[in-house]
Amino acid sequence: MTSDSTSHTFLQRPAWLAVLTRATQPQLEAAYAAHTDLLAGQPLQQVRPPEVAMLMLRGRVGGTGNAFNLGEATVVRCAVRLGHGPLGVAYTLGRNKRQAELAALFDALLQDPLQHDALQRTLIAPLAQSQAAARARRQQDVADSKVEFFTFVRGEA
Amino acid sequence: MNATSTLAAALPDAVHQSQQAFREVLNALSRPGQVCNVGPALPGVALGGAMARLLLSLTDDETPVWWQQDDAPSQHWLRFHTGAPVTTLPELASFAVVRANQDSLNLNAFAAGTATSPEFSTTVLIELPALHGGAPTQGRGPGIKDSCQLDLAGLPVGFWAQWQANHAAFPQGVDIIFTCGDRCLGLPRTTRVQRLERV
Repeated sequence: MTSDSTSHTFLQRPAWLAVLTRATQPQLEAAYAAHTDLLAGQPLQQVRPPEVAMLMLRGRVGGTGNAFNLGEATVVRCAVRLGHGPLGVAYTLGRNKRQAELAALFDALLQDPLQHDALQRTLIAPLAQSQAAARARRQQDVADSKVEFFTFVRGEA
Repeated sequence: MNATSTLAAALPDAVHQSQQAFREVLNALSRPGQVCNVGPALPGVALGGAMARLLLSLTDDETPVWWQQDDAPSQHWLRFHTGAPVTTLPELASFAVVRANQDSLNLNAFAAGTATSPEFSTTVLIELPALHGGAPTQGRGPGIKDSCQLDLAGLPVGFWAQWQANHAAFPQGVDIIFTCGDRCLGLPRTTRVQRLERV
């Protein structure tokens, strides 16, 4: 699928799933409106209709020590198939069922070799770029407020 | 990849339809010998309607399922929708799915529970070619007023001898749910079955 490495390499499926799951519903709706021609005539089957559930988040402070239960998060999961094509899946944070359905739909489309390259260029690449930019901005904001602690040597010496 | 491209959907209305299936299996096991209608077959699933709906309603990630025949699409389908693991050891199974070639059926191989926890036994789901038309038998026991007539078709040879031993082991033993298409019939371990001579 991604053997064409001369121009640029496309994101693999785990990476494009991560991009889709972070995309907002307006972004996905806009992409859906722009790609309705891809869906023409193909019935959309909800193999697993969008369902809301809770996930337990576990973590370690500073990456060390034992994992503990941090808290719960609401998640929507969904699996869809277009016609007889591949199965598209999505897990998105929150309770927005439509968002999960659209993300799963685009995962299904991306697994179709005929659509893959175009969707990577028009959908995944811009989304990944804007998400990376937002992340960098946020990191910059946080970095500005970082306080360096140090102590002067005091005493008799 | 191949398995996911044929993966079928589960119950369209999971909450209400699994409650209906649960109600039916409750009826079936509390009124042994009475035929209950669980619901029609699900599109794209190679199991009868009753078998598919009962599996979706009863299994979850804590109930290992033993399959008599390897049936990769159905196993994958059940695992995707309910998370029920597949086990190759019948004595570890909470549920067992038995379809064709039942000549090799051995009820002793399944978990029978223990004297203090008889609920940890296997519930065996057996898909039969028909629930009627076989050798006539008579069932007695809790949930049956006087007696009931059973004439299950397509049972393996020597099944009723095995069933007698299963009943004698009470409170341990397995419970059986026979299915055929949309319908099911319960045979809990409390039911005594006698063979009737053909008239």
